[in-house]
Amino acid sequence: MQKIKKRSLKWIFWLLVLAAAVLGAAAFALSVGSAGIPFGKVFRILFEGQKGIERSIIWDIRMPRLLLGFAIGGALSLAGVILQGMFRNPLVEPYTLGISGGAAVGVSLNILFGLHRIGVLTMPFSGFLGACLVILLLYGLNMKRRVLSLQGLLLTGVMINFIASSLIMLILALSRRESLQGIIFWIMGSLDEPNAFLTRLALGASVLFLVATYFFHSDLNALALGEEEALHLGVPVERTKRLLFLITSLLIGVSVAVSGMIGFVGLVVPHFMKKMVGCDHRILLAASFLAGGAFLVFCDTLARTVIAPMELPVGVITGILGGSLFVFVLMRDNGEGR
Amino acid sequence: MRQSLAVKIPFFCFVMVLQVFCLPLKAEEGGQTPLPQKGALSQRIVSLSPVLTEELFLLGVGDSVVGRTRYCTKPAETDKIEVVGNLTEINVEKIVSLRPDLVLVIPLTDPRAKQKLRSLGIRVEEFPEAADFRGICDSFLRLAGMVHKEKAAADLIEKAKREVSRIRQETGSRQPPAVFIEVGADPLVTMVKGSYFHDLIEFSGGVNIAAEAVHQLYSREKVLAKDPDIIIIVSMGFDGEEEKRIWQGYPGLKAVRQGKIILVDSDLFCAPTPVSFVHALQGVEKILHAEN
Repeated sequence: MQKIKKRSLKWIFWLLVLAAAVLGAAAFALSVGSAGIPFGKVFRILFEGQKGIERSIIWDIRMPRLLLGFAIGGALSLAGVILQGMFRNPLVEPYTLGISGGAAVGVSLNILFGLHRIGVLTMPFSGFLGACLVILLLYGLNMKRRVLSLQGLLLTGVMINFIASSLIMLILALSRRESLQGIIFWIMGSLDEPNAFLTRLALGASVLFLVATYFFHSDLNALALGEEEALHLGVPVERTKRLLFLITSLLIGVSVAVSGMIGFVGLVVPHFMKKMVGCDHRILLAASFLAGGAFLVFCDTLARTVIAPMELPVGVITGILGGSLFVFVLMRDNGEGR
Repeated sequence: MRQSLAVKIPFFCFVMVLQVFCLPLKAEEGGQTPLPQKGALSQRIVSLSPVLTEELFLLGVGDSVVGRTRYCTKPAETDKIEVVGNLTEINVEKIVSLRPDLVLVIPLTDPRAKQKLRSLGIRVEEFPEAADFRGICDSFLRLAGMVHKEKAAADLIEKAKREVSRIRQETGSRQPPAVFIEVGADPLVTMVKGSYFHDLIEFSGGVNIAAEAVHQLYSREKVLAKDPDIIIIVSMGFDGEEEKRIWQGYPGLKAVRQGKIILVDSDLFCAPTPVSFVHALQGVEKILHAEN
């Protein structure tokens, strides 16, 4: 009993720390920018009904970007945690399964054929369609005698990613200069989404899926021991695998369709959180979600301020910052172990 | 304990989902800049194209330009104007903070940024890259309409057209040299019919050997087969001297024998306003009809 109480306290401590990190990142994101609004004024504007250009900058430009960053960061980290737990492979990340490749091909085709002129929503829609096609393909290819083969899923996923990147290369070779620009913009990934509906959708979907994964927290803990062990513990392994695969694929599909490819969040954040809070999925899921959200918001704010008024692709920051931080922590731990 | 936590966390999340959909994602009405009427005179302009910036100065409304790209460096007065990005990446927040009533964009501008600016109620006008001399004039007139300088624009265009027809008449009677114009190396890129480079050559009494090519990509083989009298290298982001040396490796070419491989400054060619077009045309005329 004492042990359980201690553990709960530790979990609550981590949740509070991460919530503080999210708030800190949000405050940072809201208060810096090229418009040069003073720090104190930002919060006055945020809560008071003052009209004017500064209010518009904070509410219409910085806020949607902050919310989308939180949603996408959370979604990618959550997907990363689930996939790493399910495959019992620390190298799996949201983009390994080829779903992002499918989305990228969908969007590239859209741009090549000029469908995006019909309406702005066709872009994320075609991305999501591409993602769904890959999901169906993966599912169909690896479902044999009502058993979803995880090894097969991984291999076909990697292959689909290769095929997708070749297809994108082909599309790039065929397209005109303006289209080229559009495709490359999309592939680089950006959280600057002009459509408020898409921001809401991404945020709603990611939080909803977080809730949904909580129905599987104990199954995930059991699966971490191995499929056979989980079966002996009474986990309906096949059903769980299928549902988790669907949940993560949809999470990835939505995030990639809305914001393009933002690498590294889904790989590094779950690893970090495992080191910090431990491998129990009851806390790991929520912790990764919050940490991923805070991390991406922070990186995106850096990306848009480092070389202002120009912007860096956010993937540059997530890669450099996340990667080097991770290597640093890994080296330090190795040093301690010796 | 375990059960209660498993219940509490999802409940907490549900509350969060509810909140997400209740969040106001837009500032209330009146917090936005009012949408100016079409045809209203624009006083604060952000120009995201070097050509348009230069043209605004030509029209005498340079002081209403409040934002530019890094590459808008002509005329010199532009260095006092705030930079809001480069050609493709622009900073929406910076633009909004400048309170523009007109933002001029090009097809290369980030589509998301264009959409965002429009959704904030800012007038955004896109100017496709002008293909030829006629396109340059049309685009110039359209821009002039937005700043109510139609008269000034018409005068400038009239002057440019007079100069163009003078040069055409003067050079029309001479023997037309065959010209190959190179604007990109590795792969070799040229300019075909319907581009202002093509117009520059034809108007100054030359023949563009790539006029009928379908694609701007050209091969060295074809250049050797057509054997032009003059090769003009407009170095845009590649080493023009190196290219010149490569061409000199083909002594069979007429242009090589006559020493007619000419490097030109890309600045002269790459800002297609009616004024700079005439300027470039005078330059090309000199190149094409220089006495040996």
